[in-house]
Amino acid sequence: MTAITSLPRRAARFGGPTYDERNALVLIAPLATVLFAVAVFPILYSFYISLYGLKLTRPHRVPFVGLENYVTVLTDPQFWEAVGRTAAFSVMSVAAVAVIALLAALLLNEEFPGRRVLSAVLLVPWAIPYVANALMWKWIYDSNYGALNGLLYQLDFINSYMVWLGDADKTLALIANAFVWKEVPLAVILLLVGLKTIPADLYAAAKVDGANALQRFLHVTLPALKSSFALVIVYETMMAIRHFDLFFILTEGGPGDASHVVAWRIYVETFRNLNFGLGAAMSYILALATLALAYAVIRALAQRI
Amino acid sequence: MARITFKAVTKRYAGDVVAVRDLDLEIFDKEFVVLLGPSGCGKSTTLNMIAGLEEVTEGELWFDDEIVNTLPPHRRDVAMVFQSYALYPHKSVYENIAFGLRMRRVAAEEIDRRVRDAAAKLEISHLLQRRPSQLSGGQRQRVALGRAMVRQPAVFLMDEPLSNLDAALRISMRAEIKHLHTAMQTTFVYVTHDQAEALTLADRIVVMNDGVIQQIGAPDDIYERPRNTFVASFLGNPPINYLDGTIEGADGAVSFRRGGMRVALPPALAARLRGSPGREVKLGIRPEDVSRHGLGAETPAMEGIVDTVLPVGSDRFLGLKVEGCDVFVRVDKQAHHREGEPVRLALVPERLHVFDKASGLSLLADGAP
Ligand SMILES: Nc1ncnc2c1ncn2[C@@H]1O[C@H](COP(=O)(O)OP(=O)(O)O)[C@@H](O)[C@H]1O
Ligand SMILES: [Mg+2]
Repeated sequence: MTAITSLPRRAARFGGPTYDERNALVLIAPLATVLFAVAVFPILYSFYISLYGLKLTRPHRVPFVGLENYVTVLTDPQFWEAVGRTAAFSVMSVAAVAVIALLAALLLNEEFPGRRVLSAVLLVPWAIPYVANALMWKWIYDSNYGALNGLLYQLDFINSYMVWLGDADKTLALIANAFVWKEVPLAVILLLVGLKTIPADLYAAAKVDGANALQRFLHVTLPALKSSFALVIVYETMMAIRHFDLFFILTEGGPGDASHVVAWRIYVETFRNLNFGLGAAMSYILALATLALAYAVIRALAQRI
Repeated sequence: MARITFKAVTKRYAGDVVAVRDLDLEIFDKEFVVLLGPSGCGKSTTLNMIAGLEEVTEGELWFDDEIVNTLPPHRRDVAMVFQSYALYPHKSVYENIAFGLRMRRVAAEEIDRRVRDAAAKLEISHLLQRRPSQLSGGQRQRVALGRAMVRQPAVFLMDEPLSNLDAALRISMRAEIKHLHTAMQTTFVYVTHDQAEALTLADRIVVMNDGVIQQIGAPDDIYERPRNTFVASFLGNPPINYLDGTIEGADGAVSFRRGGMRVALPPALAARLRGSPGREVKLGIRPEDVSRHGLGAETPAMEGIVDTVLPVGSDRFLGLKVEGCDVFVRVDKQAHHREGEPVRLALVPERLHVFDKASGLSLLADGAP
């Protein structure tokens, strides 16, 4: 059998790709072309741009500047302030998503009347597009006719309507709140999938071994959730670091520069100042930082699985 | 020390599924009891009620002189081996075995001593630092046993512990489990659907079907004197043969009759059936209860045509056509029968089983109808 099938293959090796290999190439080609056009090319091209002084305010002169754009970005104290805000926003958001999603997933993993309805309701934020979510929160936070003001006023928590997003101390937290609301459902699903894979026998064994509810959670549930949890944290961190829509629609980086995060800075530099070279360099720094962070989180959380 | 008593216990799951019905059972201290029955008959449910993992819906469950209906698992002094082994996947073998002791706050040196002791007995000392995922099925099985052993429980529960192992390993593990029982001197309750496993291991077998106990007794007792056709069929491989027929009484002799076949029944049966000629019954003949020898004019015998011949090493199995019925028998390997050939085999009168055709109940058992 093996001798017979290996004969034509060996013969073909001298004459270039086999029939199968050629077929495979033909089948892969369309998708590879599309991927190259929409993913690989922009990545390479933006790196190329980041090495030039491309400003649309003086389009006729595009000098090669090497790594100068990177140096400019990394030595700019305002950039580091933006990094600080991005970090604060991300830590707040990811921590809140992780905790809330874990509690929700644990709840939905139990059998109780109304579980299905609650699961369905919980998925609603997931179905809302980012921009629609941002517009909805803009309305909720509105200082004149916002739902938050209305609710708190009627409950007597506040005496007069507040300009929520105008308070520099609260802005990041309020934007994070809107972000968390949108992100929790997906995290719940990821954790719920992890919970469903835990065999019931493990809980029975732990009960017989004398573990109480908390110990069963610590010794059976949590370790089994480790990889789902790592996934949630990596994914949400990447989403938070790069998040733009809420900053654009709710505050445009304000008040002052209270919500001036890196993603917003890239937008301003590129599309308002029309300094494409600098914007591209900043994008590259953000992308590399995101990758490095994701790698670190995966290593830290998934190492001992 | 643990004697387990079920008093009229019924277990009903949500949706009115009755898994166990009106169970009365006493398991004595240090006894090895096997719950035997087909899948879905309520064996695991019964075991889980002993463990405290399932609540008793009705009736009482006693451990010695205490009702334990509402006692949680960790206060029952039971250990359990699961069919899936249920090892904690992220813990080392050592930690898996130690877990139950850690939860009970046993001193660290004592835990270490017991874990190493159990590992040595189970020959898994070299695996203590591995994860369950790095073990073979047989090794996982041993870890699961070790986890139960170190607890030194009053009751050792096992739910089909061998059914995920391959055939050879299954047979060698039976012997080890038997040894374990002798060494541990505790009550063992063991669930299986494998009749051979039950016959090998048990002090007493509890045969269950549809949530109801069919018969309780020592392995020989159950095998030799099944109370009904369910028990008779469930034990024995290949299974018992049945011939439908009627009782005939003539001149004080009582016999079973089917077509041209007539089998004189032994005195004990004859005495019971003298008064009911014409009664419809099933004659039960186990494959090994026939013989080519000792054929006399008076011995009960069976005549048939050889349909198939199956040599299996030590024995030879024959498929026969007897009065239109298929009958499977075992003969010694010296027998040289050909397909299509007529045979006549002697039946051992004391080993014949007679069941009421309608109810399936044995007519030999005490209190038979
Ligand atoms: N958690 C449960 N909910 C509802 N029905 C169950 C549950 N567990 C078992 N059953 C039912 O109870 C019966 C007995 O189950 P089980 O004790 O597991 O049988 P066995 O172990 O003998 O195969 C079956 O009909 C099964 O479908
Ligand atoms: Mg079962």
